[in-house]
Amino acid sequence: MSVSPLRASGRRSFKWTPYLLIAPALLYLLLFFAWPMTQAIQLAAWEKHGLLSLRDSPGEEGSVGTIEQGTSISVMERRVVPLPVEESDGSDIWFFVEGKDEGGGEVRGWLPESRVRIRETDSSGTPVLGTVRPRLGASAGQGTVLHERPDELGEPVGELSARAEATILRRCSQEVWYRVEGTSGGKTASGWARGRNLQVYADGDSGRVGIGDTGRFTLLHIHRMLKDRFFRSALWTTFLLMLLIIPVQLVLAIVMALVIQSRIRFSLVFLAIFAIPLAASDLAVGIVWSSIFTQNGFLNSLLYSLGLISSPQPYLTAATRHWILVAVWIAEVWRATSLVMVIIVSGLQAISQEVLEAAELFGATLWQRVRYVILPLLKPSIQVALILRTILALQVFAVVIALGGGDVVTVLANETYRQYYALRNMNAAAAYSGLILLLSMVSAVFYLRTVRGGEEAIS
Amino acid sequence: MSVRVSDEMERVRARAKRRLAIRRALSYLVAIVLSLWILLPIWLIASTALTTPEAMRHFPKGVLPFIPFSFDTMRFFLDSHGILPGLVNSVVVALMTLGLSTLIAAPAGYALSRYSFRGRETFRLSILAVRAFPVVILSIPLAFTFISLGIFDSIPSLALMHTALTLPTTVLVIGSVFAGIPYELEEAAQVFGCTPLQAFRTVVMPLALPGIAAAGLFTFVMSWNEVFAATVLTVKNRTLPAQVLVSLREASDAYKFAGGFFMLVPSVIFIVIIRKYLFNMWGQASK
Repeated sequence: MSVSPLRASGRRSFKWTPYLLIAPALLYLLLFFAWPMTQAIQLAAWEKHGLLSLRDSPGEEGSVGTIEQGTSISVMERRVVPLPVEESDGSDIWFFVEGKDEGGGEVRGWLPESRVRIRETDSSGTPVLGTVRPRLGASAGQGTVLHERPDELGEPVGELSARAEATILRRCSQEVWYRVEGTSGGKTASGWARGRNLQVYADGDSGRVGIGDTGRFTLLHIHRMLKDRFFRSALWTTFLLMLLIIPVQLVLAIVMALVIQSRIRFSLVFLAIFAIPLAASDLAVGIVWSSIFTQNGFLNSLLYSLGLISSPQPYLTAATRHWILVAVWIAEVWRATSLVMVIIVSGLQAISQEVLEAAELFGATLWQRVRYVILPLLKPSIQVALILRTILALQVFAVVIALGGGDVVTVLANETYRQYYALRNMNAAAAYSGLILLLSMVSAVFYLRTVRGGEEAIS
Repeated sequence: MSVRVSDEMERVRARAKRRLAIRRALSYLVAIVLSLWILLPIWLIASTALTTPEAMRHFPKGVLPFIPFSFDTMRFFLDSHGILPGLVNSVVVALMTLGLSTLIAAPAGYALSRYSFRGRETFRLSILAVRAFPVVILSIPLAFTFISLGIFDSIPSLALMHTALTLPTTVLVIGSVFAGIPYELEEAAQVFGCTPLQAFRTVVMPLALPGIAAAGLFTFVMSWNEVFAATVLTVKNRTLPAQVLVSLREASDAYKFAGGFFMLVPSVIFIVIIRKYLFNMWGQASK
């Protein structure tokens, strides 16, 4: 096509300029394209907490085996590991306090944070002074036991009564680790795991893996999508609409382009009219056509006035599914033909006028000219239009909602939205969007090839 | 003999003329029919939206539209819950998208049209690929990212998404605008003592401005029309289409049709304004 020759090459000496100029756009697209893509794949096929890694000893990082989330386990040993407060998640904080017991004797020991009401903090926000909270309920009036180490099972070393003052000397967090054994996926693994990843039952000997700490690839969400009761219908309807819409659009667009190219007067006015739907949103177009197809809409008014029907017929109801499809079909043809038309017109303008005139001179009929001259020369444009439309057809969304409510007739984009909005299932929504992306990607590969081939054909 | 030949020629010429006339008439007929096909639905929604809600409910609908002519339905729509804030949000998002998209796309478009550099073709092809990609579908994972970053349900973050949607088209269109301005002009300015930057500012910019403005309008329309990402990425700060979409199920006919009309009008006006540039735009953008 009419890309002007690149005059700058060789004349400008600083060659970094073009890269600097395209850098923002490139970065932006990478950020908003590649990043959400990986995110989508993660949401759809990655289970963040699927596995629990078992360690060789408490506090260590190396994994000696994994158990699946939800697996029953037997608990063999419990150990409390102190952890600096800074490294903890803010829970299970213990205070090492000093205070006076009932008898006035000085006692020192560990108290859980929940038993202390902090009264004073130093400038950095570290608590330095507190009082012991009174006990409530059945144990009201009893004192609070100080432990030898920051662990409820630790030896008691003293007792403070309610509201006794306690100087906070040190803080520490603790982490409970269990040595467990469990069998998942046919493999038995044993090792140490953090208490917060486990649910240990009251007997202290058994439990299950509550939440894993290691991700794994999963087909669960994709499986859920495939099993979804709307999935088949959505996929099928999307393809059906594609098959119904695109050929009609192509024919209509070629007719429009030929009319505009036929050198009639006001052809620019006609072109502007044909291009109007380019600017219309799919939601607006859906609403426009629903004003025609709705029960007391224009179609029924016309048929009634002509005496063809005696009462308004319903079209956009659950019982008349096929009519909703027809309405979506017409609305989409109305809306998106302009895009195809513009592509075809610019393709047609690239065909040299002499070729067409020669064909006319040799007495070719209109049909012959279209069939043997125009269509072959338009092939690249048509291919581009076809593929662009295929990808856009995968995104049909608001038209379907505006005309059919989105339940009786559903499409892939609508199911993505349903999973996200109505069912709040991010993962299944991501699986749907992944499917749409995949289908488009397949088309895009063809598209790029066509663009290349198209340009070669022209130049 | 000569008389017969000229007779023959006359006949041939007359036949050719007749065929031409018929073909021309046929072209007009098809053009008018197709124009009606495009214009009729717009006319119908306009006549529904610009009448009273009572007239809208009446069946059968009158043959003559706009009777009675009234802004009642439109007023009812604009007074409905969330519509005015949605309108403001839509305009703000579209303006932000326009600004950001033009700012990022203009240098890239200039580079594409003026320089030959390694990777130019790859860059152009990837822009084309993204242009064809269903970018709005990416709003699902993006919602997740936005939530974790704490910028979910905000107007600027929706504008970020819309910029990703419009950027490829804007780059290609602005590229074609610059490509249409001969490099000789820039060169001449430099010969007369301009620095490259001055040459760009005083010579190229004024010539490119109308085209860039048209591209900007198109960007505005794309953002104004966008429904899917707007619905996914906002909850309280709905844009106009998102607000209409989520209330569609419970909405009355008056609300629906007035809303459809209201969303349609600005975009149709815009496309009429920039019709001159349509080809530049789509000829390039769709290549």
